[in-house]
Amino acid sequence: MATSDDAGVYRVSDELALIQTLDFFTPIVDNPYDFGRIAAANALSDVYAMGGVPKTAMNIVAYPMDSMGREPLREMLAGGAATLAEANTVLLGGHSVEDEELKYGLSVTGFVHPSKILTNQGLRAGDCLVLTKPLGTGIINTAIKGGLASEATIRQVTELMATLNRKAADIMTEFTVSACTDVTGFGLLGHIAEMICGTGKGVVIDANKVPVLAEAYEFGAMGFVPVGAHKNREFRKNMVLAAADFDPVLRDILYDPQTSGGLLIGCAERDAPALVRRLQNEGIETAAVIGFVTERLKNTIQLQ
Amino acid sequence: MIEKKTMKKTIDACGLTCPAPVLLVKDAVEQSNAQELTVLVDNGASLENVNRFLGSRGYSVTDSHEGGVYRLEARRDGNEAAVPVEKTAVRADKGAEQKVLVLITSDCLGSGDDELGGKLMVSYIKTIKEMGSELWQLIFVNSAVKLTIASSPVLSELQEYEKSGVIIFACGTCLEHFGLTAEKQVGGSTNMLDIVTATQLADKVVTIS
Repeated sequence: MATSDDAGVYRVSDELALIQTLDFFTPIVDNPYDFGRIAAANALSDVYAMGGVPKTAMNIVAYPMDSMGREPLREMLAGGAATLAEANTVLLGGHSVEDEELKYGLSVTGFVHPSKILTNQGLRAGDCLVLTKPLGTGIINTAIKGGLASEATIRQVTELMATLNRKAADIMTEFTVSACTDVTGFGLLGHIAEMICGTGKGVVIDANKVPVLAEAYEFGAMGFVPVGAHKNREFRKNMVLAAADFDPVLRDILYDPQTSGGLLIGCAERDAPALVRRLQNEGIETAAVIGFVTERLKNTIQLQ
Repeated sequence: MIEKKTMKKTIDACGLTCPAPVLLVKDAVEQSNAQELTVLVDNGASLENVNRFLGSRGYSVTDSHEGGVYRLEARRDGNEAAVPVEKTAVRADKGAEQKVLVLITSDCLGSGDDELGGKLMVSYIKTIKEMGSELWQLIFVNSAVKLTIASSPVLSELQEYEKSGVIIFACGTCLEHFGLTAEKQVGGSTNMLDIVTATQLADKVVTIS
């Protein structure tokens, strides 16, 4: 199937395809239970982004037993299990190794009808792009590392990262969606670039409509921008057009690598307001139309 | 007192990745209130982040690039009172008082008899409050991190000190080494970079071993 998509897809029959994905990383928050929840939400997200329903999962653990002891491991796995339960996904097992550096993640398998698979390519001219979670988790995680984020901010960003994309994915099935992905390590602009690469189409982003965590702007303005955001910008800057006086802090937020970010959904312009309203009514209050697809620009993202 | 403020400070943040360079500069700006500052970094991301941080604190910055090293020259005129002071840095601004950092490297005071050494350490920690408000930071490294966990005989004293505004840190690597990472009951965890920076920023460093 398509290259560089969120997950692999295997067609079993005319009625069923399997979606398989794997993601793991080093801790981003101190609390092991919360880290477990975030790792699970992040791994499950790829299945949702493909239009599928997660069914089973396996844990992948690298753990420094000698230095950390059993308790944080137990809490971390309990956090992962709680999020899997919320996603009606069965944990089948897993594998762990001793390692000096803690890493945790999951391999998730989901089901999808072969005709309902959503890839990250497929945007049509005139489509609107809808984003479901605010940006800025990478910048805030950098501020957390620097010991600058308040408890309240850590709480807020933890809950945001631990929130499943399940509800957004459910609502998405009520609409005709042309393309979907989840915003993660490449940042918003990196993922949009993947969506339009080679399609000959372009995207106009209304930067002021992009949902952003207020603290992310504050810390971004103080220079707490992760190396990943700079790398994302270096990699994609040739595809991105912006006025010379475009706010550099906002620009960095648009490139900021996200952990367990929201869904980025392409749909017809006439459906977009209803999709956003449905998402907001179901508690995804930050959902917004952030831009549209155009044939006027070729393989280019224009920031306004 | 030494006239630090008139000296031009250079911060070498080469070899460090974000957010460490910004944090170094942030501490330097907040501690010394320097009007002129030179910062050296060796990657584009740090250049941009430090540049932006200094801009947010009212400095005008020029940068140059030579042999893989970026040199930022920052300058700020006049009003020091306009500098935003961080909430946690209340104690940093105490006029003529000096900042004393006590680095405790063992759970025993002195060598000869460990049982006696343990008792002496308890006594030392209990008495250290006599330094008054000059006591700025207590940093625990090596076996001294055992003084920050639940079974520590001086836990309640340390918690009191922390409440009264003394900054307390335990070395994260040391906690890990002893398998005590989850047991720490007082203070934050710290790393070698922060320890080095703190000892540099203190007016006096007392090492207890």
